[in-house]
Amino acid sequence: MNNEEFYIGWMGEAPKSFVTWIRKYLIVLLPVIIVLGVLLALSQKKFGTGTFEFGTLTEVKGIYFNKPVPNIKVVDGKNIFGNESYITVPLIGFGKHGADGVIADLEKEKNISFEGKEITLKGTLLYNDGKLLMQVDGNDKPLVNVSGANINSVGLQNTKELGIIEVKGEIVDPKCFFGVMKPGEGKPHKDCAIRCILGGIPPVLKVTDEKGNQNYYLIVGANGEKMNEAVQDYVATPVEINARAVAYGDWIVLYVHPNGLQRYSYIQQHFGNKTASCGVACLK
Amino acid sequence: MGASYLAVGWNRQKKIYDWLIFGFCVLYLATFVVLTAIFNPDYTFETVLIRATSTLAVIILHVILSIGPLTRINKKFLPLLYNRRHLGVTMFCIILVHGSFSILQFHSLGNENPFVSLFTSNTHFGSLADFPFQALGFFALIIFFLMAITSHDFWLHNLSPKVWKTLHMFVYLAYFLVVMHVMLGVIQYETNPVFIIIMLTGSFTLITLHLIAGTREVKKDNVIYKLKQDGYVLVCDIKDIQEDRAKMFCVDAERIAVYKTGGKLFAVNNVCKHQNGPLGEGKVIDGCITCPWHGYQYLPQNGQSPPPFKEKVSTYDVKIEGTHVWLNPKAYAEGTERPGAVISVVNAE
Repeated sequence: MNNEEFYIGWMGEAPKSFVTWIRKYLIVLLPVIIVLGVLLALSQKKFGTGTFEFGTLTEVKGIYFNKPVPNIKVVDGKNIFGNESYITVPLIGFGKHGADGVIADLEKEKNISFEGKEITLKGTLLYNDGKLLMQVDGNDKPLVNVSGANINSVGLQNTKELGIIEVKGEIVDPKCFFGVMKPGEGKPHKDCAIRCILGGIPPVLKVTDEKGNQNYYLIVGANGEKMNEAVQDYVATPVEINARAVAYGDWIVLYVHPNGLQRYSYIQQHFGNKTASCGVACLK
Repeated sequence: MGASYLAVGWNRQKKIYDWLIFGFCVLYLATFVVLTAIFNPDYTFETVLIRATSTLAVIILHVILSIGPLTRINKKFLPLLYNRRHLGVTMFCIILVHGSFSILQFHSLGNENPFVSLFTSNTHFGSLADFPFQALGFFALIIFFLMAITSHDFWLHNLSPKVWKTLHMFVYLAYFLVVMHVMLGVIQYETNPVFIIIMLTGSFTLITLHLIAGTREVKKDNVIYKLKQDGYVLVCDIKDIQEDRAKMFCVDAERIAVYKTGGKLFAVNNVCKHQNGPLGEGKVIDGCITCPWHGYQYLPQNGQSPPPFKEKVSTYDVKIEGTHVWLNPKAYAEGTERPGAVISVVNAE
């Protein structure tokens, strides 16, 4: 470097050799920035195909049930025997809240229980992978109509005992997973899923089989009680559930046995406790 | 260097610098957003915004942290250093978008205050696999916030250079928090190794640059000056120092710059009062020692900034015997006038 050349930032011009050098640096930096942008954008996991019809309110008519989670049974056509078939639409609230509060407020307002009654609700639909849910928000005045008389709900409930099962999967909050957020699962979404579930959104177990197909199970306690707080430490992490499975129309509900919810370690399962302990020790 | 405070003392160089930052940021964001939209038609705006801003901020953070060692290795990088704070504030603004949207997305509209939710939703602080990585990002954001709001020289003078510099060294803690935020967060979700490779390459590059620059500094500091007499040590020959330039010597843990100017040698402390810049790598301009980092100036004979500025550095005695330069590492009080050592005509030739 020439002794005369000295860079001072507060002067209007930089010495020529400095300008030339910085120009070369920027010429190198430019493609680096572009390549990083391309690499990072193209390396992301594919976004889910879920849909949240934000801003669009849809009226849905069906029979309301509070158990196993707040839902309405909606006629979906007729089966091969000519009987009406139903799909189950779990209800969820606004933001990170369950629908219980909204439904309770509406029942109080109408001074009747909605259980087993035909009801028309207005809300925002979200759906993915064959599952449909609806957000009901008190601000949208969601109750369009409710019938006074009870419907014979025995056939509607359409429950079938599937026995005791053990399944491995990830607990997600169905609102984010089926449409509101992408990703609505995994580590980046863990805090949000916990907050949604603690807010009353029913936890769902997502199970991926060996072929990559996914099945979804609603999770409740052994006696049908809510497990929202009990699953807090198990959300968005591999878990194993031992439960009584009951088909509830197009959903399967897991009545989780006491101590039936455990963390699941692939290493522990496949290489035994010693390897797992060794791995943990190494990590420590 | 200014006698009063301006929000930004704009000049042509600063404008070019900021336009380049703006251009690079827009280019990156456009590349990321457009490609995501094309190849991921099911994308959501919030997620793309969170990801585009986070990746851009991490890239800028690496550029910022590389500027220091790069300038130690090659002075031609100094134009990047002079306005580095502009880059820092830009990065903070970008990361603020990332942090704000993340807190809104993941913690708002729930049954808990979003900031309480941030620390109480996931409490697996003892697990690597489940570690609440968002809290790490939050603390990094706080550090970047403190750095951004104190980045102006007003705060440097009011907090004192020592406190200011200490606060801004927390950028390394913030960087560590950011790396862990990424490693314990998105890296555990994404399956493509590109993410971890880029992150590790960035960290490796930064560590290497710092080690190279640090090793050079240590080498200079570890030079042992054996010849001593009457408190003076023999440091170099007169010809080793160029006119209006200096050489830096570390004697008894004191970093001292010996300047040759106007037929004399003067010795002042090597550490600039502004941001600890190396005065020994500066130049005498208009009769003043000028710091290479931000152009702060000191008079060689007394280490004082010319009025109305008030910065002062320590001065030292220096003498010439034959062609040898002898330096006394005992510091005089900051701003003390010293006569310097006259270079004889023979030596000057």
